[in-house]
Amino acid sequence: MTESAGELFDLGYRRYDGPREGRIRARKALYTNGVRILLGLGRGSSSKVLPLIFFIVVMAPAVILAFIASVAEDIDIPTHSDYYQIVSVLLTLFAAIMAPELLCPDRRSGVLGLYLVRPMTSTDYVAARWLAFFSITLLLVYSGQILLLVGLTLGADNPLDYLKDNWLDIPRFLGAGLVIAIFATTLPLTVSAFTTRRAYATAFAIGIIFLSSLVSGILTECDDHGPGDSFEQCEPLTRDYAKWFRLINITGVTLHLNDIIFDEDDISSSPGHISELNNSIPIGWYALVMLALGFVLWWRYRRIAA
Amino acid sequence: MPFSNILLDGMLSRMTSLLKATNLTKHYGSTIALESVSFEVEEGITGLLGSNGAGKSTAIKLFLGLLKPTSGTAEVSGNDPYESVESRTLLGYMPEGECLPSSMTASEFLTHMAQISGLPPSHARTRAADILRHVGLDEERYRSIGEYSTGMKQRVKLAQALVHDPVIVLLDEPTVGLDPGGREEMLKLIRRTGRDFGISIILSTHLMGDVESTCDRIIVLDEGRVKEAGDVSQYTQETQTIFIDVDDKRDELIAALTSRGIEASLEGSSIAVQQENEDQYDQIRDAVVEVDAQLRRMAPRRHQLSDIFRGDQ
Repeated sequence: MTESAGELFDLGYRRYDGPREGRIRARKALYTNGVRILLGLGRGSSSKVLPLIFFIVVMAPAVILAFIASVAEDIDIPTHSDYYQIVSVLLTLFAAIMAPELLCPDRRSGVLGLYLVRPMTSTDYVAARWLAFFSITLLLVYSGQILLLVGLTLGADNPLDYLKDNWLDIPRFLGAGLVIAIFATTLPLTVSAFTTRRAYATAFAIGIIFLSSLVSGILTECDDHGPGDSFEQCEPLTRDYAKWFRLINITGVTLHLNDIIFDEDDISSSPGHISELNNSIPIGWYALVMLALGFVLWWRYRRIAA
Repeated sequence: MPFSNILLDGMLSRMTSLLKATNLTKHYGSTIALESVSFEVEEGITGLLGSNGAGKSTAIKLFLGLLKPTSGTAEVSGNDPYESVESRTLLGYMPEGECLPSSMTASEFLTHMAQISGLPPSHARTRAADILRHVGLDEERYRSIGEYSTGMKQRVKLAQALVHDPVIVLLDEPTVGLDPGGREEMLKLIRRTGRDFGISIILSTHLMGDVESTCDRIIVLDEGRVKEAGDVSQYTQETQTIFIDVDDKRDELIAALTSRGIEASLEGSSIAVQQENEDQYDQIRDAVVEVDAQLRRMAPRRHQLSDIFRGDQ
């Protein structure tokens, strides 16, 4: 046996003369890091459980609907236009629980202070985190719709005819998915910007959604009506203004936009329904609220950076 | 060559001093944090000394581009860090407080921070491994940072400031919370970074011992103004006073010195003699022998950094 005569050399400190990609690389790195956090990649198996559960649970209605459509005939089952209504509670929960994961730990641990002295501004930080969450939410909402489309197409007697007849559903669910994902991203991230504790952020986000729905519900609720009165004849507490108070419920407004996109915004039988308003009003209101929430999120991090 | 490298080269080619404050002023409402401060920082290790509230942290934040000056300018190699985000590539920063994610490993964290500083992923991994070796965390790099001791966490904090190979690193109270052994280790690492790695350092601290043992130059801030600035050696040079430490017979020795025409006085437990010529050492020796005192030490007194502040009292 020969003895190896290896020798170790300490090369000392070597200066870095490789490429520097500046701000673009910083944004990419933060975006990628955000996606990895949300999917639990590079972390323990327990971190992967929650996103996996959400993906399974959000997919489940699509799988069930596609299955029913393939086996049952002459049944009017919910399709693409109803899917977001069905999973809206699950999406809200997903957003409220997962969004704080992106912002709260960075402030709690102080890592944010290190990010902001790199070639990156607070705007870059907020944009990268927002995009990371938006991407995953969009993936989540589109996956269910795509699964449903595949199921409905394959379950049809003639898949090609089904696609020809229903092709418009594709741009519609893509558009409605964007609306849902923007809402599910912006609100919980903005709430998360005001606390370093994830549990508080989750509770606040759910609380805001619940309260806005509750307040809107109370203000637009019909007065007690006597026996024999039909629902159509009841009068909301806020009378003619009820349709405007419906705008307080931002989740309801977002889902109403889904109806508008799928051209299902027929006037509801209940008086004071939001559909009594011209479509441009809920659309404009949604855009205004999202922009305002986005501005608050941006402003909050501008303040933190200073 | 990537655009950012061209920018960096451009920034460095215009380099005059590494950091330059010109009439730098920062007010928070009616509170004055810095008032018309001017100084320059060149290569080497520079101590930024001052008590709490002296304006050190504000000065650092201004150079990091986190704050906009009320008036005046803070420049990093000729660039305004508030306006030019890219110029922050030249800087590294080690904050005083907590800034580490406990769930990540040191290797993962440093690779991430290198990318945040603009390095491509493959280079970032190599740099992270190199730097962790330099700060002595090579063996521990795959452990979660949450499991690290305070000293190890401080080294990770220093490593993240160096991972992108900055031109200058700003260290904010790097020895806070460390035991004497850990403190000496950290100061050794800082000296090595400044002298062997060729990375210039700003050491912001209120501990004069850290500055004396580590820095080449100091800038002393007091109530938002520059109180002193210069080489450390200038503030620690020998004085004309000779200190004599004897175990006993101090009064007799003072009398013996006075009888030889030497002005001597008691300062604490030492006898201070104002040196007028080299012969005085022989005369002092003779006086000690005459009174038969036990001589412990006889040396010229050195200035101390604390003298800068003593004048105020």
